Amino acid sequence: MDLMRPPLEFLFPPEAGAELIYSFVIIVCSLMIYFATKEMYELSSYKGIKYFRKSFLFFAIAYFFRYFIKFILTIFNLGNILDISPRFIGGISLFIFLYSSSMAIFYLLYSVMWKKWNHSKLKIFLFNLAALEIAIIGVIFGGPITDLILNLILFVFVIFILFIAYKDSKNKQKGKNLFIIYLLLFIFWVLNVIDVLIPRFLELYRLMIYVFSILIFMIILYKVLKKTGS
Amino acid sequence: MLKRGKLEIMRDVLKIIQDNRNSIKPTPLLRKSKMSSIRFKEYYNELIERNLIREIINERQDKYVTLTEKGFKFLERYRSIVDFIDEFDL
Repeated sequence: MDLMRPPLEFLFPPEAGAELIYSFVIIVCSLMIYFATKEMYELSSYKGIKYFRKSFLFFAIAYFFRYFIKFILTIFNLGNILDISPRFIGGISLFIFLYSSSMAIFYLLYSVMWKKWNHSKLKIFLFNLAALEIAIIGVIFGGPITDLILNLILFVFVIFILFIAYKDSKNKQKGKNLFIIYLLLFIFWVLNVIDVLIPRFLELYRLMIYVFSILIFMIILYKVLKKTGS
Repeated sequence: MLKRGKLEIMRDVLKIIQDNRNSIKPTPLLRKSKMSSIRFKEYYNELIERNLIREIINERQDKYVTLTEKGFKFLERYRSIVDFIDEFDL
């Protein structure tokens, strides 16, 4: 069937458009959050803001390697020019995607918990180690069952930490709103990771996952822009 | 009385300097900031390191502390920084 498609459609099948737009919107939202909070961080050097910003920088990197890199390599035909095999590009992209998205989640979690966890470099080192392990397992040993179990463990860990953060929150109503937003963000992060690792698993709900993920990022961006006055 | 957070202490020190027509000697600054001298020294050095204040020595060799442009900006943006931290529970 693919051979009957016109050349451009062969390079970019129609379903690729939605994924491209989706990745682009998430990258833009994440970078806007990162740069909108730059001045606040430079003035205050506040650690919570630092981890919050890093989280969205990692989200931008993750989504760049989720799909955008494939688009750039294909449109400029860099794979052939640089003589890189698609399998190698795919492996590297998947590794960076898994590492960056895990780090994004860990940093977001740490931005809320750093005061309670007595800020230490050891924890950041452990996060890096865990993210590296997730990326290595995903790329080398990744099978549907391994990936699902790995993501479920991470998800339970994140929910547990978030629940503690919510319980200790000074402002219960505000804490509840933030808890819901982060909870949804983590749910869609897991769905995104599963969608990348086991593409057929969520094929029917893909568009819905994209729309909801964009919505969550836009809500966070709106809240950031409202507070930073950018 | 609630313990002041780091940002709040920094704001208070900067505000004292601003309220003194942006020029005050270190000793009255220490007195007005209501901190122990050890703690004051830590904050004072950090404010200088982060370029929020600077020391000026006049022709009579008296040392004065003034706000930098970044220091003024910090005071201007302090409320929104605190609101942002509160909003995202950071």
